[in-house]
Amino acid sequence: MGKYAFYPGCAAKGASKELYEATIAVSNKLNLDMVELPEFSCCGAGVLEEIKEVLDIAVNARNLAYAEREGRDIVTVCSTCLLVLRKAKYLLDNDDELREEVNEILKESGLEYKGTVDVKHFHWVLLEEFGEEGLKEKVVKPLTGLKVYPYYGCHTVRPKDIIGYEPSENPQSLEKIIRALGATPVCGERRLECCGFHAFWPAPNISMKLTGLNLKDARKESADCIVTPCPLCHMNLDANQERALKEVGENFKMPVLHVPQLVGLALGISPRELGIHRNITPVNCVQIS
Amino acid sequence: MESRKVIFRIKRFNPKKDERPYYKEYEIDVPKGMTILEALQYIKDNIDPTLAFRAFCRSAICGSCSVKINGYPKLACKTQVFNELDVYNTNILTIEPIDNMEVIRDLIVDWDSAIQKMEKMRPYLIPDPEVVPETLDEECKVYPHELKKFDKFTDCILCTTCYSACGIVRVDSNYGGPFPLARVYRFAVDPRDSLKKERAKIGFSFDMWNCVRCNKCADVCPKHIAPVDGIMKLRGLSIEIGLRNNPGARHVMAFYKSLQESGMLNEVLLPLRTKGIKGVLENLSIGIKMILKGKAHSPIMKPIKEHETLKEVMKRAMEVE
Ligand code: SF4
Ligand code: SF4
Ligand code: FES
Repeated sequence: MGKYAFYPGCAAKGASKELYEATIAVSNKLNLDMVELPEFSCCGAGVLEEIKEVLDIAVNARNLAYAEREGRDIVTVCSTCLLVLRKAKYLLDNDDELREEVNEILKESGLEYKGTVDVKHFHWVLLEEFGEEGLKEKVVKPLTGLKVYPYYGCHTVRPKDIIGYEPSENPQSLEKIIRALGATPVCGERRLECCGFHAFWPAPNISMKLTGLNLKDARKESADCIVTPCPLCHMNLDANQERALKEVGENFKMPVLHVPQLVGLALGISPRELGIHRNITPVNCVQIS
Repeated sequence: MESRKVIFRIKRFNPKKDERPYYKEYEIDVPKGMTILEALQYIKDNIDPTLAFRAFCRSAICGSCSVKINGYPKLACKTQVFNELDVYNTNILTIEPIDNMEVIRDLIVDWDSAIQKMEKMRPYLIPDPEVVPETLDEECKVYPHELKKFDKFTDCILCTTCYSACGIVRVDSNYGGPFPLARVYRFAVDPRDSLKKERAKIGFSFDMWNCVRCNKCADVCPKHIAPVDGIMKLRGLSIEIGLRNNPGARHVMAFYKSLQESGMLNEVLLPLRTKGIKGVLENLSIGIKMILKGKAHSPIMKPIKEHETLKEVMKRAMEVE
């Protein structure tokens, strides 16, 4: 089994607390060797890059350096953190001059970036550690009959030069997880489209429109719920659902689960422990006892 | 040689004759190594001479052959059929014209809308007389460290693949789009240019802050240019020249402040810092719901362990030239 440094990211520590709770519960249940490093900072969500590229890279080289110190690969539950950390790693590993410059910045704090750890998404780790079959064996409450829309969003798949875990045109990791849990994936044409989260502040209507279209697509596929690997997509799809649907002239309720919540339910973890009660749109697609 | 039977489901439309687009299927034997473009040419030569598509160089350099293959835009001349069959685990490939532009016929789209938008953004060198000599007798040097800033953006072949994939182009008609905005950045950091960072204002008026950073443009670009990187840097330049009083720039500064204060993003203060009281009021109802669900943290956040190292790293990074 791999050794992992848990990088929850700001959303899971704040507005998406339920994601943090569910991840810890699932990781404990599956005996993953995963510890959260208290030195981890916010990755900057790609926003720091807009101030200065080297600022973004240095902040994340610091995060990577702490994980290296512990000899643990970083595991995150946020797609944007995944991309930002992987991008920093990619640039540092492929540009000697930049690595030197950044290490010069880190030196004062007694840190060094060497490039020895990888950055992974939590659901990749589930598949890598157990495989579809292995995961299936751990299921105690199969989600039989549940139609789940796998909503990837952007940063767990794109750009392939940096993410590269599976073909970005037709990823299958979420479908594999859904099937392992006994549920049925129902794929719509917008499963790889953006939810608009990162334009929420400058252009809320555009952001809400994209989210609305995605929700509509899930509805069109007769999904019972959506599952997403990204808390930011979750925020738009779940918390902002009413507003997003209004933007596209619709009105219905579509439950949206974080990946660890869906996995946890099938592993027999109590909904409370998975923070299901914190989701804004009621999760009435599964029997919650 | 290994070959596979493949069904090409091609979207057809001749605006002069057809009321609406329709799909036509062609089954052919595809040998290993055949490209999508070669398959289209084979169909045109042997089965249906009316099929229209565009291609010139067949070497991924003219940018004319971009089509959608199973929903994903790619250069037909650079894409091998077998590879696509493997990615989609199928023997049927749907070939359609790329999005966000009008279809002229079958797989050919009208690039003019994209190119005209780009032209308005003045993506050409406006020489700085202080740097560029008046006569050709003297050379105008660009040093490697200067070129590094914009080198990759000069590789663009104007294939419009990124433009066709961009979800914001689809919903915001004023949005400049990935390759035009990346081009604006390219000239903004060219030492020979006279407009320099002021070019960020062009990006601003073409809605660069509406880019959702979905990275579609980076993913589809056959030249690995990542136009989104140019857009991010153009936003940075706009902040540098003082275009700070807008939600995009204020959002950026809110992140910076949060990292300085505690090392983690202060989500509770984000609406206020980004959009002022308006931001709080606009999101009040959802904010209350979140608080009731126990989804909010205290506005005063405890700093992360070793917060000092973070502040030091940030300070030193900001000092780098
Ligand atoms: S990253 Fe921005 S420019 Fe690129 S495709 Fe997405 S919205 Fe368009
Ligand atoms: S940036 Fe890439 S995808 Fe976009 S037009 Fe240029 S070469 Fe084509
Ligand atoms: S034919 Fe020129 S790029 Fe494909």
